[in-house]
Amino acid sequence: MLKKRLVGVVTIKNGWAVQSFGYRRYLPLGKPECLVENLDRWGADEILVQLIDRSVSDLGPDFELLERLGGLGLETPLIYAGGIRSVSDGVKLIQSGADRLVVDALLHDDLSSVRGLSERLGAQALIASMPLSWQGGCVEWLDYRGQTSTPITDEILDLIHSRVISEVLITDWMHEGKPRSFNQKIVEIFSLQDVPLITFGGLSTSEQMAMLLQQSNISAIAVGNFLSYKEHAIQRFKEQLAGMPLRLSNYESRYSLFADV
Amino acid sequence: MSYMTVGIVDYGMGNHASVIHSLRDLGFRVRVSDETGVLDCTDVLILPGVGAFPSAMQALHQRGLVGYLQEQAREQRPILGICLGMQLLASASHEIHYTAGLDLIPGEVVALTDSKWHIGWNTVECVEQDLLLQASDGQTFYFNHSFCYQGPTEYQVCVSRYPGPFASVIRRGSVVGVQFHPEKSQDAGRVLLKNLITGLAHA
Repeated sequence: MLKKRLVGVVTIKNGWAVQSFGYRRYLPLGKPECLVENLDRWGADEILVQLIDRSVSDLGPDFELLERLGGLGLETPLIYAGGIRSVSDGVKLIQSGADRLVVDALLHDDLSSVRGLSERLGAQALIASMPLSWQGGCVEWLDYRGQTSTPITDEILDLIHSRVISEVLITDWMHEGKPRSFNQKIVEIFSLQDVPLITFGGLSTSEQMAMLLQQSNISAIAVGNFLSYKEHAIQRFKEQLAGMPLRLSNYESRYSLFADV
Repeated sequence: MSYMTVGIVDYGMGNHASVIHSLRDLGFRVRVSDETGVLDCTDVLILPGVGAFPSAMQALHQRGLVGYLQEQAREQRPILGICLGMQLLASASHEIHYTAGLDLIPGEVVALTDSKWHIGWNTVECVEQDLLLQASDGQTFYFNHSFCYQGPTEYQVCVSRYPGPFASVIRRGSVVGVQFHPEKSQDAGRVLLKNLITGLAHA
């Protein structure tokens, strides 16, 4: 049976891993490599590194970071987000070590490149990031670069519906970083209920996660801030989520007790 | 300590970093090349791959590797295909348009029937007795694909379900293909890679 996933998120700004609060306030955590290495060791189902300053500053993807992460010898699938401007950026990122890509700004700027990426890499490699909020009785989609929210356009819904991308990462951006605050409403009224969703933002407890994992259209839960300052945080959440369709928690040692022959 | 050398066939599709790290971690020497002279000096060949079937076959043809791989298989040289690399072992694929494959394992590559794609961790069930895969029976591995192998059951060693069964490991003699990514499957992937490579090399 295909398992649902617990995705560890590392948010990166100006080269440093940060805790992010509501897409506005940031606290430094340290080197991204250290956090990514922990998630790999803890048996996360996927690791998402999201570089939140690359598109804002028009810097393009951070290939050097990806090379450094590649040097860690990760054994966990790596998802990259940040600064993707074109099909060639995406192809180069996959060749540099990313297993899947998240597009966000490109959804606002250039849908033909999103389609081009899908044709070149396959839809299974593409995730659409949509920071959403529930305001005034409707769902609003944030363009984080200018901090402006607008209703989701039919063009975007058509693109998602046509399976150009494989999953949608829905972020409750207003509640990002606030414990127990994810607003289920944005999932309930997201108009494409047959599209696999990854939920993120304000998900700090196993009870919240269990409620989401029971929904058939939720394929993964993403957690960032609430994995910090703890050891084995992924395994602990998985243990609390026993009975859910997740891969079991796994503790492992790289040091074999058996001699090679 | 094993000093076997694994040759990664470099035909320009996808990244090799994770495969290289996993293999070195397991104590294997690794050579990455598209030169037959270099690949000749290795014990096991690995054919990785990410992307679409037609462009992968085109890349293999451009580098003169199609005939080489077919010749190596005839000489019983162990070959392990990973993900797209597994699909390339088949006779042909219907991805985008009909394209002939390496034809090392009879069968075709077709779109998944029950879903558009299959992403995430899934269990592998052995349906044929195979000593090299015994330890991996019931383990979960990371999949990320939208096409799969369809062919005679005699070549289907393991299946996974989504929800219907599809071949997740195929084998014909010393040629083996895995639809998932062992190099991204943590402990389960390490065990499988070690058993397959050492087992195939010593067979």
